[in-house]
Amino acid sequence: MRILGISFISIALTTIVIANAYYQKKQFYPSVVYITKSNPSMAVIYCQAFICVFLTGKLMRKIFFGELRTSEFEHLMERSWYAITETCLAFTVFRDDFNPKFVALFTLLLFLKSFHWLAEDRVDFMERSPIIGWLFHVRVLSLLLVLGALDFHFVQHAYHSTVTKGASVQLVFGFEYAILMTMAVNIAIKYSLYSVDLHSETPWENKAVFLLYTELIMGFIKVILYLTFVVIMVRVYTLPLFAFRPMYYTIRNFKKAFNDVRLSRRAIHNMNTLYPDATAEELSAGDNVCIICREEMSTGCKKLPCNHIFHTACLRSWFQRQQTCPTCRLNILGPNVHIENRHQRPANPIPPQPPNAFQFPGPNAFMAPNIFNNLFNPNMRNAQQQNPLLNGAVNNNGNNNVQPPPAGAATTNVPPPPPFQVPPFPFMNPFMTPPPIPPQNLSTLTREQLQQLEGTERQNVEARIQWLRNIQVRIFVIVR
Amino acid sequence: MAGSALRRLMAEYKQLTLNPPEGIIAGPINEENFFEWEALITGPEGTCFEGGVFPAKLTFPPDYPLSPPKMQFTCEMFHPNIYADGKVCISILHAPGDDPMGYESSAERWSPVQSVEKILLSVVSMLAEPNDESGANVDAAKMWRENREEFNKIAERIVRRTLGIPT
Repeated sequence: MRILGISFISIALTTIVIANAYYQKKQFYPSVVYITKSNPSMAVIYCQAFICVFLTGKLMRKIFFGELRTSEFEHLMERSWYAITETCLAFTVFRDDFNPKFVALFTLLLFLKSFHWLAEDRVDFMERSPIIGWLFHVRVLSLLLVLGALDFHFVQHAYHSTVTKGASVQLVFGFEYAILMTMAVNIAIKYSLYSVDLHSETPWENKAVFLLYTELIMGFIKVILYLTFVVIMVRVYTLPLFAFRPMYYTIRNFKKAFNDVRLSRRAIHNMNTLYPDATAEELSAGDNVCIICREEMSTGCKKLPCNHIFHTACLRSWFQRQQTCPTCRLNILGPNVHIENRHQRPANPIPPQPPNAFQFPGPNAFMAPNIFNNLFNPNMRNAQQQNPLLNGAVNNNGNNNVQPPPAGAATTNVPPPPPFQVPPFPFMNPFMTPPPIPPQNLSTLTREQLQQLEGTERQNVEARIQWLRNIQVRIFVIVR
Repeated sequence: MAGSALRRLMAEYKQLTLNPPEGIIAGPINEENFFEWEALITGPEGTCFEGGVFPAKLTFPPDYPLSPPKMQFTCEMFHPNIYADGKVCISILHAPGDDPMGYESSAERWSPVQSVEKILLSVVSMLAEPNDESGANVDAAKMWRENREEFNKIAERIVRRTLGIPT
């Protein structure tokens, strides 16, 4: 309503000014000269032009966006104020070239900029709305085409003008439109990623990764553009103060994108190497809803050392933020884990290990041979006594070597079942001889360690087979 | 397939409509935008906020549930853990790392395990038992500690106002 009133008043004023000029001079050319020479008339004409631009903007907005949402509008206002301030700063550098054409070009630039921002916000909105109709796609696509073509045209124009006429204010325009063009390309890439995801039946896990890399590359191009612009401006004119704020933000965003990519890569690396895939049994054992996305887990799930299971993709995006288990906040990355990995871990992930695999069976299972030994052959007992020592050696050995890799669990705070308990060795008790404990993960040992282990293991096995044979012989003799 | 944040919000909305917790209603203000919710919380029984129905707005970030939503009461509130503008200050709404009050352990911070329902239940228990150590509203915290009668009076006035009963 207010806008209608203002535009009405403005049109009335313009009519009065033109009518007055024509009434006084009676001819076209003198009246134009009269208007341009009179400051109040020019003010009215500027106002009218401004209102025309504003109304065109509104019309374009209606065509390409429909109703703006509150957040979009706030965003637009916030950015506009900065852009206007910076434009005024830019005027000071080029105050010698100051003329209506120059103002018009800057207004056009601002106008197009605001549409780029709106397009960016609108495409981000795709992620948030469950209802995306065909109108949305038509609008976004046509807007992107128009913006891209205009950006390209202006960059080309600025380039030709600079090459043919030498450095002028066109330098600034060329550069600004180049930045806008990267923005348009960025929006277009985002839009295509979102639409692909929107039309696929299953969640597209790699979308986040693609988005991250797009951000990184676009950020890099923008940083390069800003740096060259500043260098050129410093050489040709003066320090371009008006470019510093956007440059600072661009560099900050680039740094953030770089960090994101780094963290994401680390998260992916950890996912692939440190954590085992959850097996079908583990998934069906309990409540198989991924706590991050609240959807059912069927494939592509990982189990953390604390036994909590999540979708690989969900976990990956969470690990970009924090390296803790979302459920129990167990810190996943001990500082030692990485070093150990590089040295010892082969490319393939650790096979999943049930946490209780190394609990000791009760002594009963191994008592029988001992009883026989004691009953039948005192010599056998010696062999037996020798054996615990051997076993002990193996165990200690096993512990020392194996501790670091599962340290993924051990160095972190509290994995509920300690995966590798040092069993109590009942050396004193001849009736309780535990079997040698298998090291947790053979693939993490070096060749020498493996050979060492194997050597003692073989002796153990041979000794045991020998006892069994002896027992068999004795039983045979008794029975006969 | 829609974005993961949107799918999770839709799942939570479905869950909340199928099994609504007692005394809490929550849902998107507009079905076109699932990232702005409105919630109605009834004051817990046996407290000074009993009987009140408090409207609040929840704003979700684009990367929900990796980052926590923001919650703001849209009615007048007087409570040690609610800022004067209605913003709620409880530890599960803070991402680990930022700590406005400098005392919260990361164990009670935001994580994807939390949900709208848990947030709202925490807010209900916060209404029942204010934490006067972390004064988001220092006046309210002081009054809660030193002049409980006055606090109860103000709370009662707010309750009446939310119900549209003249005070």
